[in-house]
Amino acid sequence: MKLSTYNFLTSKSIRGVKVGYPLKLVVSKQDEVEAEFNPTFIERLLPKLEWSTVYLSAEVVGLQEDIPKEFSDDIVSNQDVLQKLHHLLLEVDILEGQLECPETGRVFPIKDGIPNMLLNEDEV
Amino acid sequence: METPSISHLTSEDLENVYEPAEDSFLLLDALEKDLEYLREELKPKVCLEIGSGSGIIITSVAKYVQCLCLSTDINAIACSVTKRTASENPPASVDTIQMNLVDGIRKNSVDLLLFNPPYVVTEDEELTSSKMSDGQEITSKNLVYTWAGGENGRRVIDVLLNNLDDILAEGGVLYLLVLKENKPKEIIEIVRKKGFHGEVFMERRIPGEYLYILKIVKKKLCK
Repeated sequence: MKLSTYNFLTSKSIRGVKVGYPLKLVVSKQDEVEAEFNPTFIERLLPKLEWSTVYLSAEVVGLQEDIPKEFSDDIVSNQDVLQKLHHLLLEVDILEGQLECPETGRVFPIKDGIPNMLLNEDEV
Repeated sequence: METPSISHLTSEDLENVYEPAEDSFLLLDALEKDLEYLREELKPKVCLEIGSGSGIIITSVAKYVQCLCLSTDINAIACSVTKRTASENPPASVDTIQMNLVDGIRKNSVDLLLFNPPYVVTEDEELTSSKMSDGQEITSKNLVYTWAGGENGRRVIDVLLNNLDDILAEGGVLYLLVLKENKPKEIIEIVRKKGFHGEVFMERRIPGEYLYILKIVKKKLCK
């Protein structure tokens, strides 16, 4: 699971959960893949991302030094930051770990890079 | 668009995952026909395929359209097969999540949504009697979910259409594969009433079935 994907995941479908975001991410095994750097694409993707979650995921994988805590328009014109965002969002690959609902504590395991967010019938 | 290779699929995979067939190829043909629109006009940031199965459709998008490509499937084996199909067809990169439809995806995130749903008209008992127990991988029963669509084959399709406004981003588009028995004209009327633009984008007769690709677009807000 890439950290760009993580940015879009929520546990809102659990019955009674109001926001379910961001999920608490715990990483036990991660890898790095190589992806072609396309600054224009990163720039287009940015408005879709929750910035606080981008920063949160950087903290989880120890890359918080690379990423500004607050979003600003300067980021878009800063090739160096875009390159670091590219690495954080598209190259870091979470293989094993878990996601946790911030409201109920329900755990969604990540195995072989695939989060299991399937809910039981009595949870929805 | 070159059809992604699925030669890595084992016979065991195919016992658990829907093998690409005429319906899959029609959806691929529709995307190819609309490739210029996808690349030059829509320019999706996030593309998601529901029920990606073998993964050939989302892998094809990942190869030809630059966007974040996600796929979901309720079947764990399908999830891992989709991931493998993407990695066997570089430079495609697809992230797969095991979930029902788009239940765990943030609201209004998807710019390009693809769905080849379980559309076959079936008795609803067919599904309840073969329900997967929690966490179990019951091989012979996994496949039922790939085709059994309940009354008019619309069981899953209607759930998706009811939530479409919350799923798609502004200007987002859904390519939906349906069968004549699913009443495509009625589906188009339903989505138009909800304020979407809807049309039959492609249709094809194959032995025993008549297939359609519906293109449903969420209008952009006027600014």
